[in-house]
Amino acid sequence: MNRLGEKLLIAFSWISGITLVSVVFFIVGYLIFKGIRAINLKLIFGETSPLDALLLRKQVFHGLFPAMIGTFLLVVLSVGLAAPVGLASGIYLAEYAQGKVRKIVNFFFDILATIPSIVIGLTGFSLAVFLHQHYSKQIYPCLLISSLSLSFLVLPYIIRSTQVSLESLPLNTRLTALALGGTRVQNILYVLVPQSLSGILSGLILAIGRCAEDTAVIMLTGVVATAGLPRSVLAPYEALPFYIYYISSEYSSPEELLTGYGASIILLIICMTLFLFAFIVKRRIIWQTFYHL
Amino acid sequence: MNKPVKIRTTNLCFSYYNHPVLQDVTLQFVENSLTAIVGPSGVGKSTFLMTLNRLWEEIPGARMKGRVEIKFNGSFHDIYARSYSLPQLRRAVGMVFQVPNPLPMSIFKNIALPLKLAGIRDRSLISYKVEQALKKAYLWEEVKDRLTDSALKLSGGQQQRLCIARALILEPEVLLVDEPTSSLDGKAASVIEELLISLREQCTILAVSHYRDQVKRIADVVVELSNSHHQSNTYHQKPQPV
Repeated sequence: MNRLGEKLLIAFSWISGITLVSVVFFIVGYLIFKGIRAINLKLIFGETSPLDALLLRKQVFHGLFPAMIGTFLLVVLSVGLAAPVGLASGIYLAEYAQGKVRKIVNFFFDILATIPSIVIGLTGFSLAVFLHQHYSKQIYPCLLISSLSLSFLVLPYIIRSTQVSLESLPLNTRLTALALGGTRVQNILYVLVPQSLSGILSGLILAIGRCAEDTAVIMLTGVVATAGLPRSVLAPYEALPFYIYYISSEYSSPEELLTGYGASIILLIICMTLFLFAFIVKRRIIWQTFYHL
Repeated sequence: MNKPVKIRTTNLCFSYYNHPVLQDVTLQFVENSLTAIVGPSGVGKSTFLMTLNRLWEEIPGARMKGRVEIKFNGSFHDIYARSYSLPQLRRAVGMVFQVPNPLPMSIFKNIALPLKLAGIRDRSLISYKVEQALKKAYLWEEVKDRLTDSALKLSGGQQQRLCIARALILEPEVLLVDEPTSSLDGKAASVIEELLISLREQCTILAVSHYRDQVKRIADVVVELSNSHHQSNTYHQKPQPV
């Protein structure tokens, strides 16, 4: 490549990076600028006193508290269901699968990754209908069905990130424990997985973000505009992205629209908190396995 | 030299993706000696070491034929026999790689890893063994106050001695060493050389080396692997001139 081409490439890279960072700042800044005024205890707890709401003594009406709890539970349940399966599949693909089986399984995960979320939502909805008709009249679209559907939506992220980060470990690292008398499983548990935690974590963060923002799946599988706190995993629930969606499409006053911005900021904060939690858990695991005496 | 034989290989053939690397290697190695394996690049010196602890089995595309027997508890065992336990073999045949490969964990955890893999949980025994291994590898004095620091903070020479300590903690009977000083400066290299000479009393050492003068300094026996035009290798096993 000639010098001019090289310079152009560097310039292009810089411009891309700067654009990306400024877009993030713009979106977050705009949200805060518009929504910060809406954020107060009344937005979250409505007319109910915060203490009563937190201790679950009184219902919250006209507040975001139920939607926050709904989103939080949704993310934790979905990622909780998807993470073990995704980790195990990723490990299988990277460390055990070979030849044809590997190709076929890889192909199926690629298909899973390309299924649009609305289709997954529809499948979840059909499942709820089927169970309602054939198994129990008590089953409706609910928190559990939503979580299950979402976990399928994010499974490919977790599988791929686990697989790729395991596969990218150098041969040197792979051989270390084996040469010292470790079995294959020991090598995976004590060396390979702990070494790939950063990559696995990035997959989990993608999954958390996807679960927190998705509206298509949950609209079909159990979210409602007003339900209060979910009574169980088999009950309908509220969620922040759905609230933002219907406020922005059906608001009747500027004040109401403002609560949508407020809800967006809260959603962002919930995601950040979960990312931070995942990051701390990773740090903790690494310290425990690699440095703790 | 009347020392008994520790390792013998018979008609060893090796290939990567059908590209032959070793052909018909038949060799013997005597107990408690340091054998230097020399020869031009790409002749299969490192590969040969890996046939002795079966580590090549983890490398894709590798195939081997032939027989390797090592004497444990007074009798020869075919290490490729189906009944032979692989972890047990690799605990008895330690290996040190060309580039130091400490894992990104604390010094202590690095050295203690083989014990953990062997299922030893007694903490006081582990601490004792870690200290002994570090002392054997001339590293104890340098690291005793910072065992919880990351092993990656050590210098190259220290890292290599850490890897030797890690290989020694299970008290292997055979130690395979693949160009242990190639990534080190002269001073660090001479410490490793001295260490290898002292370890000869405890185990049978096979060391791949590129440096003629290093071989002269440390080896009891020299084995030369060489490539002839007909893809067959010739071997000379000769006593080291003083």
